[in-house]
Amino acid sequence: MTTLHLFSRSPLLDADALDGLRWVRVGDAVLLTGGAVEALRPGSAAARQLAQLPAEATLHALEEDVQARRLQPERAVTLIDYPTFVDLSVSYAKVISWT
Amino acid sequence: MKFAIVVLSPPQAPSSRRALRFCEALLAGGHELSRLFLYRDGVYNASHATVSGQDETDLPARWRDLIERHQLDAVVCIAAALKRGLLDENEARRYERDGAVNVRAPWQLSGLGQLHEAVQDADRLLCFGGD
Amino acid sequence: MAKSTLVISRQPALGGPGPREALDIVLAGGAFELPLALLFAGPGVTQLLAADSAALEQKDLSANLSALPLFGVEAIYAEAAALQRLGILPEQLPAWVTPLAPDALAALIHDHDQVISI
Repeated sequence: MTTLHLFSRSPLLDADALDGLRWVRVGDAVLLTGGAVEALRPGSAAARQLAQLPAEATLHALEEDVQARRLQPERAVTLIDYPTFVDLSVSYAKVISWT
Repeated sequence: MKFAIVVLSPPQAPSSRRALRFCEALLAGGHELSRLFLYRDGVYNASHATVSGQDETDLPARWRDLIERHQLDAVVCIAAALKRGLLDENEARRYERDGAVNVRAPWQLSGLGQLHEAVQDADRLLCFGGD
Repeated sequence: MAKSTLVISRQPALGGPGPREALDIVLAGGAFELPLALLFAGPGVTQLLAADSAALEQKDLSANLSALPLFGVEAIYAEAAALQRLGILPEQLPAWVTPLAPDALAALIHDHDQVISI
């Protein structure tokens, strides 16, 4: 069962905000939203956590959250809008919100 | 597809607005929102009493509008609501909280059984919480 | 066939309504005889330790927890890594909870039809 892992907690506030990354398997996808997009800030500790993702797990982020924070990700990430967010949730068998 | 949406964060949290925007997008995309369920601090999204500043987004009003426009099944967990001071007319009367009616249609207070029913019935479940 | 639900309880004991609200989801599902599992993860493993909730004028949840098998919920797990991080030994845990190592935990998460993390 392929899974979309949805993150929304900020690693700046919670050390375990991205803890769910451990459960991402090959074929799964990750979507960063809200404060979780801080993991895309180059050079941050959270960015290093993201680097441990399997290469075959696709990484997405909600565009409005990346843009609002004026982040310039240095790693491969697909910025998405809400219609694509819906499409992603349809394409994966289940969505786990790591709240 | 049929979606069950759970909101766990209060209306001031960005995640609650994201939940609303996701609901709007799923409906615009032709999918069905079979149940909207508020739990934990998410119950505050149902409050009829919040007052938003002119320059602020009024999320409870936007939820009411979405629910009414699409005739959505919108449920607030009664246990989570009561302890947070969110009461409908029946509960205000039952617990003798005069005038403290801040949950009204289109929201309905109900139990966690409705959450499980939604999870069983829907193709997809999304929970919104966090920041 | 009913969909299986895994509830992950991550809030620390005595820290707010989280533990009770995660447990209530499980109890409600158990009452409907739905296939459910409960996982205590991260700080949530502290809910499994003996505590004096009355000292904080809080409700003692241990009675609710031990009632889970009566509601047909026997699949109760704790994240072994979190236990280790907190120095919690197996002897300190109630008999009805099973510690799970990472691989078993991954299987638990992936095998359930839905996952609700509180």
